[in-house]
Amino acid sequence: MQVLDYDIPDNLYYSKEHEWIKIEGETAVIGITDYAQESLHEIVYVETPKVGSQIEQFQTMGSVESIKSVSDLFVPVSGKIMEINAYLAESPELLNEDPYGKGWIAKVQLANFSEDLKKLLTAEQYADYVRSLEE
Amino acid sequence: MTESTRRTHLYKFHKQSGRITLFAGFEMPLWYKGIIPEHMTVRNKVGVFDISHMGRALISGPESEAFLNYVTTNDVARLTPLSAHYSTMCNEKGGIKDDFILSRLEPDKFFMVYNAANRTKNYEWLVQHSKSFNVKVEDVSDIIAMFAVQGPKAQETLQKIADSDLSKIERFKCGWTKLAGVNVFLSRTGYTGEDGFEIFVWDTSLSNPAKAEKVWNAILETGKDFGIEPCGLGARDTLRLEAGMCLYGNDIDENTTPLEARLGFVVKFKKENFIGKDALLKQKAEGVKRKRVGLRMLEKSIPRPNYEVWKNGQIIGRVTSGTFSPVLQCGIAVAYVPTEHAVKDSMVMVKIRGKLVKAEVVKFPFYDPIRYGYRRQNNAGAGL
Repeated sequence: MQVLDYDIPDNLYYSKEHEWIKIEGETAVIGITDYAQESLHEIVYVETPKVGSQIEQFQTMGSVESIKSVSDLFVPVSGKIMEINAYLAESPELLNEDPYGKGWIAKVQLANFSEDLKKLLTAEQYADYVRSLEE
Repeated sequence: MTESTRRTHLYKFHKQSGRITLFAGFEMPLWYKGIIPEHMTVRNKVGVFDISHMGRALISGPESEAFLNYVTTNDVARLTPLSAHYSTMCNEKGGIKDDFILSRLEPDKFFMVYNAANRTKNYEWLVQHSKSFNVKVEDVSDIIAMFAVQGPKAQETLQKIADSDLSKIERFKCGWTKLAGVNVFLSRTGYTGEDGFEIFVWDTSLSNPAKAEKVWNAILETGKDFGIEPCGLGARDTLRLEAGMCLYGNDIDENTTPLEARLGFVVKFKKENFIGKDALLKQKAEGVKRKRVGLRMLEKSIPRPNYEVWKNGQIIGRVTSGTFSPVLQCGIAVAYVPTEHAVKDSMVMVKIRGKLVKAEVVKFPFYDPIRYGYRRQNNAGAGL
């Protein structure tokens, strides 16, 4: 769906820190939302976690830096980092250009998704949250 | 908007075309298209900035030269009419009250352009010290709109709408002309490291912005042939940082002296007396203990204000400004370090989010002055 000027795909889960989670079987793909990339604007560095690291839900896994600011990156689900998007080292602007596609950040092997889910937002809930921020 | 926030003549344009940020109490454009494209447009072509938020004062009267020589550090006697220079005002301890550009309009009339954040402070300081001189100090900030047109194509852009030959105005010279039929004062100065002009549209108040809008729109229109872009404060900051220029409140303040900031070239000790002279002479005699340096990050990381600078397992200083350099494509910073480490090629570390990252001390400007900046060699080729 489109909320204000932001794209919020219906088939994803979201966190209040503006990460998205796409479930693919036992794995989750994660990234930052359109709202997040638009707020940061011109992303110049992405610090990603190490493959193999075990992370608890909402733990810091890295950071995203634009010219003006730096934001922590939180993992919205618990599990093991299986893969990171290697293109981001050379092309951090992928987060701006295609936040839900080529700008994905990491793949996580889910550890406890049914529990994690209680603290995540649906697209509908996230849309309401974004609206409340823009008011 | 809270009651105390202020706007410039061009607010409507900024709101429609850019992202607004609050700076020194003003609602200003942070960027229109983005900091990086605006930055590169100024380095390679030409950009226009609304900087009407800055403070401006007129100092006139038979003792204006003597007064300004007392209250500022540079030598005002050497400033001929229609010339400008960079200078500082210091407190009694030699700490910088502000840095600014001073232009001599007439033998007994001067024009000072200073930082928006120091508008009130400077005006009060000038008025306070003017009492023992036969001078008048007027705050003219609110009746003047101010734009900067910066970049290698600045002169060509403005020439098309100017009624006099702008090539006659050399760097740090100024003069009166008409732009798009409007009387303006121009100085060949700027805050980007590039060639360019600062334009003052006189007698245009916020309630009557027509003249300011006319000049702004004419610049944007005529600049189209050269790829002009309106530029916001974001690019203004990255451009001045790459050029190694100070930002008041970050790199210099009342606890920093011009000698520490490497602004000794605007402190003229041969002058009989000026506020801060004794303190600065003492510091010079005892040796300056810390100095402002440029740092270039050797790994992918962006230094930011207040980050610690380390050497040999110890904190030796702090970052005062830092950013990602669009020209160099790496993190750059300004920091104060002990004089013994303030030497080119000296290696230090910056603590960035808990991690020590290698950096080298480099000269200002950060970019290659043969390829970028007002001293660039023609066709040296900033081809991006």
